Amino acid sequence: MDTTFVLPNSGHNRDDVSSKLGMWLFLFTELLLFGGLFLVYMVYRFIYHEAFLHASYDLNVWFGGVNTVVLLTSSMTVAMSITAMQKGDILLSKRLLWLTILAAGIFLVIKAFEWSAKFSHGLFPGMEHYSTLPNGERLFFFLYFFMTGLHALHVIVGAIILLVVINAIGKNRVRQDKYMFLENGGLYWHLVDLIWIYLFPLFYLIH
Amino acid sequence: MNQHPNQHKEHSAEVHIVSYREHASTFLALILLTVMTVTVSVFGADLYTLTVLTALAIASAKAVVVGLYFMHLKYDPKIYKAMMAVVLILFTVFLILTLIDYLIRP
Repeated sequence: MDTTFVLPNSGHNRDDVSSKLGMWLFLFTELLLFGGLFLVYMVYRFIYHEAFLHASYDLNVWFGGVNTVVLLTSSMTVAMSITAMQKGDILLSKRLLWLTILAAGIFLVIKAFEWSAKFSHGLFPGMEHYSTLPNGERLFFFLYFFMTGLHALHVIVGAIILLVVINAIGKNRVRQDKYMFLENGGLYWHLVDLIWIYLFPLFYLIH
Repeated sequence: MNQHPNQHKEHSAEVHIVSYREHASTFLALILLTVMTVTVSVFGADLYTLTVLTALAIASAKAVVVGLYFMHLKYDPKIYKAMMAVVLILFTVFLILTLIDYLIRP
């Protein structure tokens, strides 16, 4: 981190450690947001565990599995992008970020196929088939749509953040000696991956 | 790591640059863990509680690997790791209290 002394108000003072600390504080609020949802999941699964077990067979392990691999790959490319930036390879850093955004797109397309299959089975809350399901299964699908939906929203936001980072690299506002924005954007992307790491087994693999 | 001989050498020497190779091995480890968890779930369907616990244990192992290597917790100042630990302890307390509530409720 930058330890060289700079005059206050010279326009060049910055604190990388604190910048990252702020990002981590934000990530903790995100973790507790999803943490609360996982608590809800745990409680309802405890009460209706037969129904949860039964409903989880309606989810396709392969959709979830492929998306896990896609997100893990994107996590690696964004981590490598930071390495490239630290080594001064701007072009590679940008290319790796584009790859990450591509992976975000693939993830969302697979998610869209998965959701539309559920829609055609009438499993979205409020649909006809959904209303005929027993209580426990309704809760399972409600949580499934809410949690994966909120996660998909985070994927979209993460991709937008990375686009802004690419733009900042292009304008030389993010460079080899000043890359905290890239690093914080990367941290956000890893958080998206972290949440999926728990969503995948809890919804797709619980049988 | 190859340091660039530029004017920022004095502080770039402090930053640990994680190599591409290290990131690639981290990725491979994560893929292996994913294959493991899917295999346990698909072929161990009759071992109900075991699969849930195994799945959660493997997920947590993956989370730790992502945190330490991809999110640089291993090489960054210790303060981030300490704060992460506080948040995890806080969440575990929430989890246990909620669980106790539902376990002892008549």
